[in-house]
Amino acid sequence: MPDQVTEQELKDRLSLIETMIAEGRRTTGSWGWTFVLWGVAYYVAIAWTIWGHYPLAWPITMVAASVLTAVLATRRRRSQPRTTMGRAIGSIWVAMGITMFILFFSLGLSGRLVDQQAFVALVAAMLGTSNATSSLILKWKAQFACAIVWWAAAVISCFGTFMQSSIAGVAAIFLCQIAFGIYATIYESSKRGQVVHHA
Amino acid sequence: MPELPELNPVIHGKLRLALLSLLSGVEEAEFTWLRSKTGSTDGNLGAQLLKLEDAGYVVVEKKFVSRKPQTIYRMTEAGRHALTEYVQALKQLLGGAIGG
Repeated sequence: MPDQVTEQELKDRLSLIETMIAEGRRTTGSWGWTFVLWGVAYYVAIAWTIWGHYPLAWPITMVAASVLTAVLATRRRRSQPRTTMGRAIGSIWVAMGITMFILFFSLGLSGRLVDQQAFVALVAAMLGTSNATSSLILKWKAQFACAIVWWAAAVISCFGTFMQSSIAGVAAIFLCQIAFGIYATIYESSKRGQVVHHA
Repeated sequence: MPELPELNPVIHGKLRLALLSLLSGVEEAEFTWLRSKTGSTDGNLGAQLLKLEDAGYVVVEKKFVSRKPQTIYRMTEAGRHALTEYVQALKQLLGGAIGG
């Protein structure tokens, strides 16, 4: 044992350990930008479908957004540590993305994707599930609020008119993708600014 | 009078303790991330990580990702065990001062 270690020094060491462990664990990477990117992708797909009348607008936009997300994520992930929590959150979104792609691609190909309100309800419910799961793991109330908005949009799409369903979907994209994405990006950069100088 | 535990001198260094604690909360971490979290210089950080590596508390992996070099550090089981023992020794030394 080092000579003449004071009680305060020992307490400082204990505090340093706690701070650093917490610092490592709370690192989940910066993902706010993905919400914005996907929000824009949804709007592009919607606009392309409405004004372009192109049947492949959704699959093309979604595949392009997936590729872009993968490329940008690989570039950004280099400097971030790998954490169990980060992997858990990432798994939720990857699994949800694959599920959505398989489901809607199959429904579209089989000609069963005819009810637009059912489509909005399904997408909103699935996004609500992913946001809720992620928020419960991260203990992030703002993201849980997004889950509630998505679930509300799903219910409105089931019981409302075509117009109400469309408005609910577009509003949910704005609130839970664009606005939340910008908020998350600001929140993450403010967290990154808190560099610990204990050592 | 009960015998007081000894503090592991490899871990007791402030920067080495910070590094081990950081690595205990992640699966693996890059050199640059450890530098940003500790606010240390490249030279000092490299030297302290080498001491931890020599003690068998961390393992290092050097690789190239998109032609850029990456140095990844992982905590070993021995490192985890040593940190746990260090914390227990700290608590024992502090005794009632930290309220159990």
